[in-house]
Amino acid sequence: MEIFFQQLVNGLTIGSIYALVALGYTMVYGVLKLINFAHGDLVALSAYIGLVIIMQLMGALSPTILIIATFIITIIITAIGGVVLERAAYKPLRKAPRLSAVVSALGASMIIENGIMLIWGPMPRIFPASVVPNTNYNIHGVYISLMQVLVLIISFILMVALYLFVNRTKLGTAMRACAIDQDAARLMGINVDKVIVTTFVIGSALGAVGGLFIGMYYRGIYFNMGWIYGLNAFVAAIIGGIGNIPGAMLGGMLLGIFNAFIAGYVSSSWSLALTYVLLIVIMIFRPTGILGERVAEKV
Amino acid sequence: MRRKGLVGLLVFVVAVLFSVSAFASGFIKIGVQAPITGKFASEGQSINKAVRLIAKQVNKKGGILGKKIKVITCDDEGKAVKAAICARKLVDAGVIAVIGSYTSTCAEAAEPIYYRAGVLQTSDGTSDTLVKHGYWTFFRNSSPNSAEAKFTAEFFLKKQHYKRIAVISDYSTFSTNLAKAVINDLKKMGGNIVYYGKITSGAQNFTPILTKIKSYNPDVIYFSGYYTDGGLIRAQMVQLGIKADFVGGDSNDNPEFIKLAGKAAVGSYLINVPLPQMLPYPTAKKFLKAFRETYHENPASIWTLFNADGFRVILYAIQQTKSLNTKKIAHYLHYELKGFPGITGPIRFAPNGERIGSAYMAYRIGPDLKYHIVYKEK
Repeated sequence: MEIFFQQLVNGLTIGSIYALVALGYTMVYGVLKLINFAHGDLVALSAYIGLVIIMQLMGALSPTILIIATFIITIIITAIGGVVLERAAYKPLRKAPRLSAVVSALGASMIIENGIMLIWGPMPRIFPASVVPNTNYNIHGVYISLMQVLVLIISFILMVALYLFVNRTKLGTAMRACAIDQDAARLMGINVDKVIVTTFVIGSALGAVGGLFIGMYYRGIYFNMGWIYGLNAFVAAIIGGIGNIPGAMLGGMLLGIFNAFIAGYVSSSWSLALTYVLLIVIMIFRPTGILGERVAEKV
Repeated sequence: MRRKGLVGLLVFVVAVLFSVSAFASGFIKIGVQAPITGKFASEGQSINKAVRLIAKQVNKKGGILGKKIKVITCDDEGKAVKAAICARKLVDAGVIAVIGSYTSTCAEAAEPIYYRAGVLQTSDGTSDTLVKHGYWTFFRNSSPNSAEAKFTAEFFLKKQHYKRIAVISDYSTFSTNLAKAVINDLKKMGGNIVYYGKITSGAQNFTPILTKIKSYNPDVIYFSGYYTDGGLIRAQMVQLGIKADFVGGDSNDNPEFIKLAGKAAVGSYLINVPLPQMLPYPTAKKFLKAFRETYHENPASIWTLFNADGFRVILYAIQQTKSLNTKKIAHYLHYELKGFPGITGPIRFAPNGERIGSAYMAYRIGPDLKYHIVYKEK
């Protein structure tokens, strides 16, 4: 039984990170019908920014303030990065065929990835060990570290906050309206441009939190890690139903838990392959994802 | 039969042509195929630096056979596909010998291309399969997995007396072969293997497989892959409260293993040939001093020095045979070379290109985060 709960904790930790990153994909897709392939690299960039801030401020601030400051500054810089990305790579192509935007997204992804390599070098960079105290809790044989607790709690709070924002605020309602029909939204007096920028700001900010979690929990970061985390998060977004916000959260958690249970109970060598088999099965029975709405074909 | 002869002749002609072109250019061109970027960048860059340092030293003394050495580097990123591209590029550039690559996977992917072109290759790759193709162009400058596996099995059963052994590898040629060799040797000596599984290198989250291993209650987890994963495995083992020992194969021996594992590194074991600074040979002390003076850092690991040795022994063979004919050089290395004083000890090659002799050690990482020798080959 311990093993079961331990695997659940393992899966939920990585699943929360996937979910945070997946939200960025799904929100942009919801509003713009565009897959932002550069999102994973933005996540990687945020991890590097976080590392620079920690190295600069370490020793000058107390640990708690250091962590809070790192999160706030990284989120702001990454959000600005997200807006710049939108302005430079996507806005000029808003009226262009969708394929152009996809190519532009891939290009932006390569620019960020190689930019990271040029600035910080090709070697893995390593977060200092003592940012978050190395406390480990043993609850009846199930081990959970302070960092894991933080990952789970912060992710949960952020996801609830996002849900409330989208469903209870004016801007959130405008966002949903844009997702349904941009032209109609514009006719209702909604500033679509502002909504799109907000989407990128929130998506990038959540991605930045994910990136910092990767850096602080796994400690080793690589210039090309945006690809693997981006791919997993993208898959999570699809499992949940791309464009659907609770779907991305659910998809991320499911992906993490599947992976842990398959590795734990079937075969670790096959865990990745079997996870994707499961994805295909879900796609066969629910082509729009678990929470995705069935879209009527327009003939 | 006739066809085969014709191909052989063609290979020979091409080989001769290349050696001739190398002669004609006034330079002796040497290739370096190494992961300059990517996960193993620190190793690849260090190999490149070592080769260039030796070339500079030789050129300062007027070169070799009256010609200067020109080093051409190609980055294989640690990927098999890039390795094949590099091999073609270096062959086209007219090199007579290639140093590299760092990983067995890349060395093996490039091997047939160098063989067909008659270009000598020397690699620190430890995978046993590297010398099994019958290519006269290939020379291993390190010790093979089989020697490491035997040493590992002895360390586990005779020194540590492990009763329940779990083994993890990644999917690379090198890591799976080493894991299999270790398992074979352990079984031969009556060891009890309770688990063998694979991880995806670079996945970072290894808690699922480690949790599974925990349920088998092993007293040691052996990992045959690279330090980028090994450091994280060790850290996550401790975080999951696994009390078993951690023993890492040779590729976990990199300063970044300790950085990644943090405090968790204390108490883990690594198995490798001696550390650069532990090498007793005068050649080693001289080379390390020159390396530090030029680059203001230590070589990334012993692998740099193995490759440096590969380069030095080829240069020595060129001097002894007074020839740039790769067939002649290879013959000299296979059959005539006796105990060349290398940085990593005396060098001799078996006819299949295997380096003869090995000297493995087991280290324990102490609370001071330094290596302490706990077991040695006699």
